[in-house]
Amino acid sequence: MEQQIKDLRLRAGEEIRSSATLKELDDVRVKVLGKKGELTGLLRGMSKLSAEERPIVGKLVNEARAEIEQLIADKNSELKAAELQAKLASERIDVTLPGRRVHDGHLHPLTLTLNRVKKIFVSMGYSVEEGPEVETDYYNFEALNLPKDHPARDMQDSFYITEEILLRTQTSPVQARTMERHKDNEPIRMIAPGRVYRRDDYDASHSPMFTQVEGLVIDKGISFADLKGTLEDFSKKIFGERTKIRLRPSFFPFTEPSAEVDVSCVMCHGAGCKVCQGTGWLEILGAGMVHPDVLKMSGYDPDEVSGFAFGMGIERIAMLTYGLDDMRLLYDNDVRFLKQF
Amino acid sequence: MQVSTKWLKDYIDIDLTADELAEKFTLAGIPVENVIHAGEGLEKVVTGRIEELKPHPDSDHLLICQMNVGAENLLQIITGASNVAEGQVVPVALVGANLPCGKKISKGKMRGVASNGMLCSADELNIEGDSSGIYILPDDTPVGVPAAEVLGLDDDILEFELTANRGDCFSVIGLVRELAVLTKKTPRFPEIKVDENDERETEKLVKIGIDAPDLCSRFSARVLTNVKLAPSPDWMVKRLEGAGMRAINNVVDVTNFVMLEMGQPLHAYDFDKVAWHQLTARRAVEGEPLHTLDDTNRLAKGGELVIADAEKAAGLAGIMGGFESEITEATKTVILEAACFNSASIRRTSRAVGIHTEASGRFERGTNINGTVAALDRVAQLLQDMGACNVTAGVVDVYPNPKPEIKIEFTTNKINQRLGTNYTDEEIISVLEALGFKIEPISKVDELTDEVVDKFASATKNIGKAARELGKKSNVENLVKNLGESLGGLFKSDNVKPSGVDDFFKGVSSTFGDAFKNLDMKISSAYEATVPDWRNDVTLPDDLSEEVARVYGFDKIPSTLPKGNQQGRQSATQDFIDRIKDILSGLGMCEELSFAFTSSAMFDKMKIPADSPLRQAIPIMNPLTDEAPLLRTNLLASVFENAARNFSRKNEDVRLFEVAPVFLPKALPVKELPIERQQVVGLLMGRREPKGWSQNPAQVDFYDAKGIVEELFAGLSINNYFVEAGTHYALHPGKTAVFKKGRDVLATVGEVNPAVAEALGIKKKIYVFEAEVETLQRFAAKKFSLESLPKYPSISRDLAILVEHDIAAGDVEKVIAKNGGTFFKGVTLFDVYTGERIAADKKSLAFAIEFRSNERTLKDEEADAAFKNILAAVEKDFGATLRS
Repeated sequence: MEQQIKDLRLRAGEEIRSSATLKELDDVRVKVLGKKGELTGLLRGMSKLSAEERPIVGKLVNEARAEIEQLIADKNSELKAAELQAKLASERIDVTLPGRRVHDGHLHPLTLTLNRVKKIFVSMGYSVEEGPEVETDYYNFEALNLPKDHPARDMQDSFYITEEILLRTQTSPVQARTMERHKDNEPIRMIAPGRVYRRDDYDASHSPMFTQVEGLVIDKGISFADLKGTLEDFSKKIFGERTKIRLRPSFFPFTEPSAEVDVSCVMCHGAGCKVCQGTGWLEILGAGMVHPDVLKMSGYDPDEVSGFAFGMGIERIAMLTYGLDDMRLLYDNDVRFLKQF
Repeated sequence: MQVSTKWLKDYIDIDLTADELAEKFTLAGIPVENVIHAGEGLEKVVTGRIEELKPHPDSDHLLICQMNVGAENLLQIITGASNVAEGQVVPVALVGANLPCGKKISKGKMRGVASNGMLCSADELNIEGDSSGIYILPDDTPVGVPAAEVLGLDDDILEFELTANRGDCFSVIGLVRELAVLTKKTPRFPEIKVDENDERETEKLVKIGIDAPDLCSRFSARVLTNVKLAPSPDWMVKRLEGAGMRAINNVVDVTNFVMLEMGQPLHAYDFDKVAWHQLTARRAVEGEPLHTLDDTNRLAKGGELVIADAEKAAGLAGIMGGFESEITEATKTVILEAACFNSASIRRTSRAVGIHTEASGRFERGTNINGTVAALDRVAQLLQDMGACNVTAGVVDVYPNPKPEIKIEFTTNKINQRLGTNYTDEEIISVLEALGFKIEPISKVDELTDEVVDKFASATKNIGKAARELGKKSNVENLVKNLGESLGGLFKSDNVKPSGVDDFFKGVSSTFGDAFKNLDMKISSAYEATVPDWRNDVTLPDDLSEEVARVYGFDKIPSTLPKGNQQGRQSATQDFIDRIKDILSGLGMCEELSFAFTSSAMFDKMKIPADSPLRQAIPIMNPLTDEAPLLRTNLLASVFENAARNFSRKNEDVRLFEVAPVFLPKALPVKELPIERQQVVGLLMGRREPKGWSQNPAQVDFYDAKGIVEELFAGLSINNYFVEAGTHYALHPGKTAVFKKGRDVLATVGEVNPAVAEALGIKKKIYVFEAEVETLQRFAAKKFSLESLPKYPSISRDLAILVEHDIAAGDVEKVIAKNGGTFFKGVTLFDVYTGERIAADKKSLAFAIEFRSNERTLKDEEADAAFKNILAAVEKDFGATLRS
């Protein structure tokens, strides 16, 4: 009997090892451990044994069962793993095929740029003000200290609707309108973004319609130094921390002193390159301290308060941000262009 | 304005290169737009003498030259030119030269013979001259010197782009004046001296009058006799050329020279051609003939200022002289005019006649009214120096209302406040004085600044506190120390001697005195500045602050941020528009931005009816092109144009949207500002999904466009609207839907009428939608309402019915909703079928209807009952039958 058990253990071990599939393995299990299996048969034969032999043989049978069960379990997981492996291998796909796409929508690069500018100024406490695009000569020019026949009107060739009504050439009229809406000498901190129109030829750097953001701060004790600090802060936020600014004295009828503002070239950081034409600087802004006449005309007392104003073209900033060399791309609306932003 | 650096250096000793000058001027508010480096590219070109000339052994046209270029050894150069001879001096480009014509010179061989340079032609040097051969210099030209020097090309030119306010810098003297301040050098301006060597009195020879004193505020004249017309001397020709003017003859040249030098335009008349030797500044009469120097005959509009002799207009004042009185070879006597004209009037006339001259440019910006006589004298002096004329005695000077001096009261404190700087009085005054302002202190004391008042208030409070301490502490020394500390920097405690109470009070009072002295220092002194007469642009204290800032440099201004806090925000409408853009871009639409211009041709293409208010577009008086002379009244025009442009470029899958204003006049012609209305439009054409191996290749249809609008509305919280079939001028009559709420139209969506698409040149089906932002905003839910998740399960019943083709699914849905009972929660149309399996005149609609109770689990019977009601209603209302 002992020998039979030993033989069975060996034979079963051999059969388990040689099983190639789960089915074969299961056949072995049934054949050895099943109700009619060989080991069960051996157990059944134990009744013929003496009382002394029974526990010894019983222990052997149990040991044999445990060992065989363990072998089957091991083989089972081995075969299962192999089977999964084979299944996965057969399921291989071409992962280089393109993914399933949906149409991707995009905001216009000018909107994206304007949103950045607005966000910066709103975080600095500026309100966003708007006004009409068709304006009166008064708000567009006269309220800004630009009487008729002023030579500086030449700087901005305008689209006229009538003698007194025109397409605004700047968003500064919004400043005058906002000042008029405020109580006497009430502080203002605002930007006026919007479309403006000038009778410029349509070329790589000019467009008859473009987008401007003008800013105005009025309060007690506002100084030119405040203007400089504000523009420095803005320039770093929009073009990066390394950006420096340079102010050049200039002339605008609505500010005094006035300045053209350059930022260090966003491409070469001042070393000189094609974009900045070797100068290291890019002109992006006009600015200055609000002219006392402008304050007076809109009901502010220049002896009580002072203010600064600035204006910038969003196209220029977008072109620098995205490396565009032709402004016309922005108004061409080719979907291949629009989809890149 | 352009000027050569040499001319500037005639009047000031400076050691700056043209580029350094440009930077200095620019950073002081006198922008230099461009520096022309004369002689650029001629750095390695020297003069050389041809010492020996031999034919090339292997060529019948090449010559071997041995050149003396001032070096120890002769230089061998091969040339192909035929106009050279031994002994000539010519420009020689040495090895390494990079010529203005683009040629680079290197060592080489020509047919086996070494050549170490090139003899240059005028063309190759980019100078004027006969270019058929080598440029031959005079025989006595020294050899080995830079050719640029010999050719007079060593003078750099500064091109200024002057701002409209700085008329005074429209002159060499004005520029030098600025330069002197910026470099702290003393300029030396020419001394003007006239020898009135013709005894006749000027005022007896000519009569000068001003009939329009508002347009001509001063008219000064001199008479030059015995005039000998001749070419101007070399030095003057060079200065004029450097300033971009051509030399003509000595009289004209000198008037131009003095205009450039002093900024005062001058005009010379032939005395004998001026009727009655009489010149009057008067307004032209309408239709009056004007024969100007450019030999053009014009008719006066009337009202423009002319200078007339006794018979006729003899020139457009300040713009261009008259033809008849022009200086000619025959001129013997000259009337010289130096006047001051009204800027605005000159500008108007100059624009009207389209003539812009050096003179008109200066008058437009304003000239120095007190400079007319000096300019006349300067012309007389220069011509006399050339021996070209005699000068009669005296000046005729009509100057009815002498310009008063402009005086500006200012305080240095205000200047510092405006700039955010801390310049001392001395620093501020020295700059202004250097610029020609006369500064006088005035006794008037400026108001106290907030800062000083605050300091003083806290100082006196501290004195009071310290005084109370006196009662508690017998130790005066301690008190004084305490006092000194508490008063801070306002006054010194040294004055309070610790020697008893009497002394203490004495000390305190004298200390108060000191305190006030200190305050005095803080209270800015007031001054009066007298503006120099050449500065028409300075009238306010704020103008003075700019002068200080620009001379010290804007880079010296500190950087600070405005004090105080304000809340930044944008308007609700702005937020709403941002939301529209975000939603539409999230739905796969690209944002376009287009010009606001359109044309009636576009209206035709879009089939806008002739009587539509959309045709009432505002015309622009001076459009950029005749193709787009109107302001758009609708945004569809823009999106159509962009779609057409894309289609023509083979971009056939297009999904565009735009949010922008349209312009609706209240009446035409325009009398008041038009209504500006923000619209949103969208356009779809092409594939429903991007092209791909596993993508749906179908093209978009009406329901894609409608779905975008539905999603937009959902995103904007616009609910409870209804949709019905509608009409639109540009859309397919059977494929147009209108989204409505009550009577208000929220949006229109539809397929573009194929006739419109064809007119646009788009051979594809196009779908568009349009809406008004204001209406959408009005109906967007202001408050967010959360629908709580259901606590109990819902029951769904499918209703598949057959109806006639023209029954609108939307109407069926409405009836289902109306008859669904209390537990009705929603209906979804999930299938529409027409075809073989049903009758040809019918379509099948399949709805999933959901029932749910919020209080309990619904019973099947309850859902069945509701479903029955619905079925009965659709049978009744639409003649529907259940699909079996």
